[in-house]
Amino acid sequence: MPRVLEPTRGRADTFPAGASTPAGASTRRQPVLGANRTVLLSALLVVAVAALCAVAAAPSSARVPVGVAVLVGLAAAAVIAVLAIRQADGTARLVARLAALDALTERRAAGLAQLADDTLPKIVAHLRDGVSAEEAMAGGPSPTDPAEQRILRTLAEEVGRGERMRAAAMAACANAAGRVQALATSMLADLRDMEDRHSEEVLGDLLRMDHSVSQTGRLADSIAVLTGARSGRRWTKPIVMESILRGALGRISAYQRVRLHSTSTAAVAGYAAEGVMHALAELMDNATSFSPPSEEVHVYVEEVQAGLVVTIEDGGLVMGPAALRRAERAVSAASLDLTTLSGTRLGLAVVGVLARKYGLTVSFRPSSRGGTGVIVIIPRQLITQPRPDGAPLPGVHAAAAPGAVAGARGGRQAAPEQPDEPAALPSRAAAHPPGTPEPLPKRGRGETLAGAARAAALATSLDGPPAGADGRPAAPTVSPGARFGAFQQSRARVRSGETGPTGAAGQQPAGATDSDATGATGGAEAINATDSGEAAP
Amino acid sequence: MTRGHIDRENPDRLYTITGGRSRADADVFDLVTLVIAECDPSPGMQSEHAAILRFCRSARAVVEIAAHLRLPISVVRILLCDLLDAGRIIVRQPARSAPRHSPVELPYAHPELLREVLVGLRRL
Repeated sequence: MPRVLEPTRGRADTFPAGASTPAGASTRRQPVLGANRTVLLSALLVVAVAALCAVAAAPSSARVPVGVAVLVGLAAAAVIAVLAIRQADGTARLVARLAALDALTERRAAGLAQLADDTLPKIVAHLRDGVSAEEAMAGGPSPTDPAEQRILRTLAEEVGRGERMRAAAMAACANAAGRVQALATSMLADLRDMEDRHSEEVLGDLLRMDHSVSQTGRLADSIAVLTGARSGRRWTKPIVMESILRGALGRISAYQRVRLHSTSTAAVAGYAAEGVMHALAELMDNATSFSPPSEEVHVYVEEVQAGLVVTIEDGGLVMGPAALRRAERAVSAASLDLTTLSGTRLGLAVVGVLARKYGLTVSFRPSSRGGTGVIVIIPRQLITQPRPDGAPLPGVHAAAAPGAVAGARGGRQAAPEQPDEPAALPSRAAAHPPGTPEPLPKRGRGETLAGAARAAALATSLDGPPAGADGRPAAPTVSPGARFGAFQQSRARVRSGETGPTGAAGQQPAGATDSDATGATGGAEAINATDSGEAAP
Repeated sequence: MTRGHIDRENPDRLYTITGGRSRADADVFDLVTLVIAECDPSPGMQSEHAAILRFCRSARAVVEIAAHLRLPISVVRILLCDLLDAGRIIVRQPARSAPRHSPVELPYAHPELLREVLVGLRRL
């Protein structure tokens, strides 16, 4: 009992007296009240009996005044007892009511706590998942109190509306970014085409436009990354590190201030190449925009066990410890928090998203050049090594049969193509340690046929002016000579009386030697091909 | 623009290859200027420079280099100017090239030889 009553007394004055008293509480208090009354009445009875005894025991002369006094006293005591009993009754009722109110308050507090800690988070989580307000209300636990229900409904509707607005805005941004990305990609392809077609006079202008479009593309990529859309484009082949760096470089405005130092021949897997490029572009952009225009930004690439380490060092402002921490947080936070975006500086947030997506590790430190250094580690699983025969130039390694390209562009170029092939072969072989197997040969089975095709192209172009246009002895005739290298070789041997083909070749200048070697293998096929095709000269 | 065209592309933009230049400093190279590498490519070199040096172990015309690298002629000229300034290539104008016995000259292009080839062919 004291446990219940003690706090009640403390708070008694804060409660209105008219609050309803629950029945349970009053029945619980009733026996106590009755006991008090009984005690009081029996005490009064005892006092009355004692007083009567006293009156009876008193001498008769004093009996009347004593009797009167005792009666008055008894009456007063009775009045007091009645008053006390009523007082006690009221107090007990108040105490009971206070206890009931206390219980009610406790229940309300518990209900509110549940609303705040359990119901609301659940409903908000549902709403964040895209469920409508009504469904979320129906799905989650519902409070019994009507006021709480109203609060919950209003809140759910507001949060739901906000969530829908956010989703719509994100989708609109992502969609717009995707369109700009597609436009930029096709414009870049068009521009590259024009750069090939048009002359030097417009090249400068085309390059400037190319640069602007590249930056536009990067901006669209950034928005796409932040809105969770896919990155700009996929590369279907691994991209060598030099191209990755230059691809990143081409997307920032002050690209001429960046110096690349890379001897790495590693390539980044096609699916990750765009992301890596974009992240590096953002970091390079930061480095150039936060360093004075006179300072250069240096980019180093180093191959380590964990993968590739790209270091971007500027000589600009040193980031303070707080700025460093903020930057680290931006690139390593568990997930993108759009509320931390400042509106103008999206770069690090984009880097953070890309780093999480591709497992890049980005860290900042003071640079040895006086500014800030950024270290990006590209994990090993994204790295592939190109084929060991070198030729890391992306545009070149595709040209396995350069003669075919040259032949397509004009017969004259095909002519000097021929002597180079054997000349290149020994050097390529020498580049390999003798133990390792020779990589897939450049001169495949179709090579001689391609040679025959070139011969055909030559035959058609022989009538044209290119033959002697530059004053040289007609260049295209070289190739037929090479075609019939075997014939020529045997002729030379007969004429000079040499014993071996190498001796005969030794008398020829270098170009002839090469073509002879080629001709010895491909001569017969070439003859057949030219016989069946156009007439040989 | 076909999809295939886009797929064949590389991330390098031309202005990153030339470092922002669109015009060669010197007017040494025309389309048929012959270029011969003076040294082997060294590590860390720009890949286009290395490719030119590898390709020009024997004399090559500027147009051939452009076709081989798949780059516009003007860009190739800029790259060649860089190499020339660094002394890594030598340049030979075809009009002024030595008529005989130079490594550039192609011995089997003589009319006499061609005639012999023709005779040999007819005998086949």
